[in-house]
Amino acid sequence: MRKLGLGIVFYGAVALLVAIVLLPFLWMLLSSLKTQVDIVAWPPKFVFSPTVQNYYKVFEEQDFIRYFINSTVVAFFAVGVSLLLGLPAAYSIARFSQRRLALVILLARLMPGISFLMPWYIIFSRLGLMDTYVALVLSHVLIALPIVVWIMSSYFETIPIELEESAMVDGASRNYIFLKIILPLSGPGIITATTLAFIFSWNNFLFSQVLSMEKTRTLPIAVFNFLSYADIDWGGVMAASVTIMAPALILTMVFQRYVVSGLTMGAVKG
Amino acid sequence: MRTTLKFGLALALGLGMSGGAMAQTKEIRVLLANHPYGDILKAAIPQFEQQSGIKVNVESLQESQLTTKLTTEFATNSSSVDVFMTRPLQDGKLFAKNKWYEPLTGYDFSDYPANTVSIVTYEGKPNIVPLVTEWQVLFYRKDLLAAAGIKVPTNFDELAAAAEKLNTGGVAGLASRGKGAAAVTQLSSYVYNFGGQYLDKGVAVFDTKEAVDGIRYYGKLVGSYGPRGVTSMSWENILPLFQAGRVAMWTDASVFYGQITDPAKTSLGADKVGIANFPAGPKAHSPFYATSWGIAMASQSKKKDLAKTFVDWATSKELAAKAMGANITMARTSVWEDPAVVAKVDPGLVETRAFVAKNGTPTDRPFMSAVGEARDLIGEIVLESINTKGASPQIDDMAKERVAKVNTLLRDTGEYGQ
Repeated sequence: MRKLGLGIVFYGAVALLVAIVLLPFLWMLLSSLKTQVDIVAWPPKFVFSPTVQNYYKVFEEQDFIRYFINSTVVAFFAVGVSLLLGLPAAYSIARFSQRRLALVILLARLMPGISFLMPWYIIFSRLGLMDTYVALVLSHVLIALPIVVWIMSSYFETIPIELEESAMVDGASRNYIFLKIILPLSGPGIITATTLAFIFSWNNFLFSQVLSMEKTRTLPIAVFNFLSYADIDWGGVMAASVTIMAPALILTMVFQRYVVSGLTMGAVKG
Repeated sequence: MRTTLKFGLALALGLGMSGGAMAQTKEIRVLLANHPYGDILKAAIPQFEQQSGIKVNVESLQESQLTTKLTTEFATNSSSVDVFMTRPLQDGKLFAKNKWYEPLTGYDFSDYPANTVSIVTYEGKPNIVPLVTEWQVLFYRKDLLAAAGIKVPTNFDELAAAAEKLNTGGVAGLASRGKGAAAVTQLSSYVYNFGGQYLDKGVAVFDTKEAVDGIRYYGKLVGSYGPRGVTSMSWENILPLFQAGRVAMWTDASVFYGQITDPAKTSLGADKVGIANFPAGPKAHSPFYATSWGIAMASQSKKKDLAKTFVDWATSKELAAKAMGANITMARTSVWEDPAVVAKVDPGLVETRAFVAKNGTPTDRPFMSAVGEARDLIGEIVLESINTKGASPQIDDMAKERVAKVNTLLRDTGEYGQ
């Protein structure tokens, strides 16, 4: 009997927590299907005749397909470059205990982003790179690279050094070991790092705001298309938010198993 | 290292070519705000391109993004912006001090009210063409006032009495912005009508008895009869409350009138919503009449003659008349005197504008470079006043201390006493 009572309390608490987390999402989803009149209605309407008007605005009146492609291209290349540079760096940091180097990389992440903006703007505009993907990709590497390096260096540390030593005895070079032994063993870590780096780049606002223009505008900036002077199109904002969140959400759901284990990786060393 | 370099170069080349701007001789870059007038310009630009042969690269941004972007571009001295929309009261002083506006010496300002031109004039030269003005009004629910047997308040005593009577369970008697810095603009008319000012000739003076009385009165009304949680509310929170029928009276800028009468945005019904002059105070009757948006040329522009052509077109009488049809309250005087144009504008806007054009105060905030910081400081007094319904004994001391701080800000930028 006591066990049953505890069970009820436990699941009640779970339900409460889930409700707290999910309610805003539910609200957003419902609002994206409402007219402006229904959105501001009081008391809130849970039964209403749904409309796709807001999504029509997102994809037809506003060019969200293009913004979507922009965000994808930028995140894809930023993460790609970060993996290319970050994986070897993380390996080196892990194996040669270059803690100071790791700290410097982290420092780039800790510094307020706005301090990078001015120099970047000067450099990119002098090079004629404004409104190109290059400027955005390079700036997003600053976001993605530290994530890759920090997750991967602690991941690499968990791989027993004995594996490498025995390979060396067999005559394998460092590069060979890294490419053929370490990387294949690091799947979960790489997936974690990639997912997180992708999401951070996907959500970035500050850099994209200044370095993008009409052609390269990314999704987080485009949501503001629905905010006019003294006028907010709540339905449009909600529909745009659902559109933006969907890929990040799907990505996280698919890979969440790895993400959770990847985040705790290296936290407890056995 | 070499692979990295190669990769970087390949990336740069590949992407650079796809996105790089093609150099053309007659081409300008224009930044617009997400604003109904910006939309009208955007829609009409193809026509302009055909007439003038100038290609316009237009980008429109939300107002705070616009300011961030312009500030970054101008501060690095490598901007390619030729023409931009700008907020004279929020950005004007800072931009002008840094000489980011190109003085508009050849432009004909005779069709603009003198008080709007004075606010965009720096060192004797107008820097911005005023586009849109707004003024403080009283929005009210005709049905609720009629049911309570109250006539529309015309002075502060009547306003307080009406707010008290209309404040019933589900409906707030009087709403106005309560969120610190955001409230400063809507508080301004209260301060003016009590005989106070934020700044007087470049010196902060909102610690005078008149100004403090205004702040206390505002706190008393909004704190006693405002919606619950009003101290975290700006217009974006109060507007939906009014649209949902939960507010009886609301003092804010005229720009919201369209949205509280539009059947696509509220189920209230336009016949239930009224607009009236902001009530008179004990000392004055001078609500703000502010130039909320203007358009300017960038001093860093390398194509000033093309930019000038665009500005002349974008501020033309024809476009202003067209905008008036969409209830955008333009700055140009002539469009308000043209019966054919005025016929298309809501009569409530026409009447309240006629009053402020004569009697209004041309700013709704401390007009200075560090306007954001100053608004934060004044906002703290507003919060204290609302939380204590205007009764806090600290308000006087807070005002004195904030005045000293604002004066320091003014000294820091060399605007003190100017």
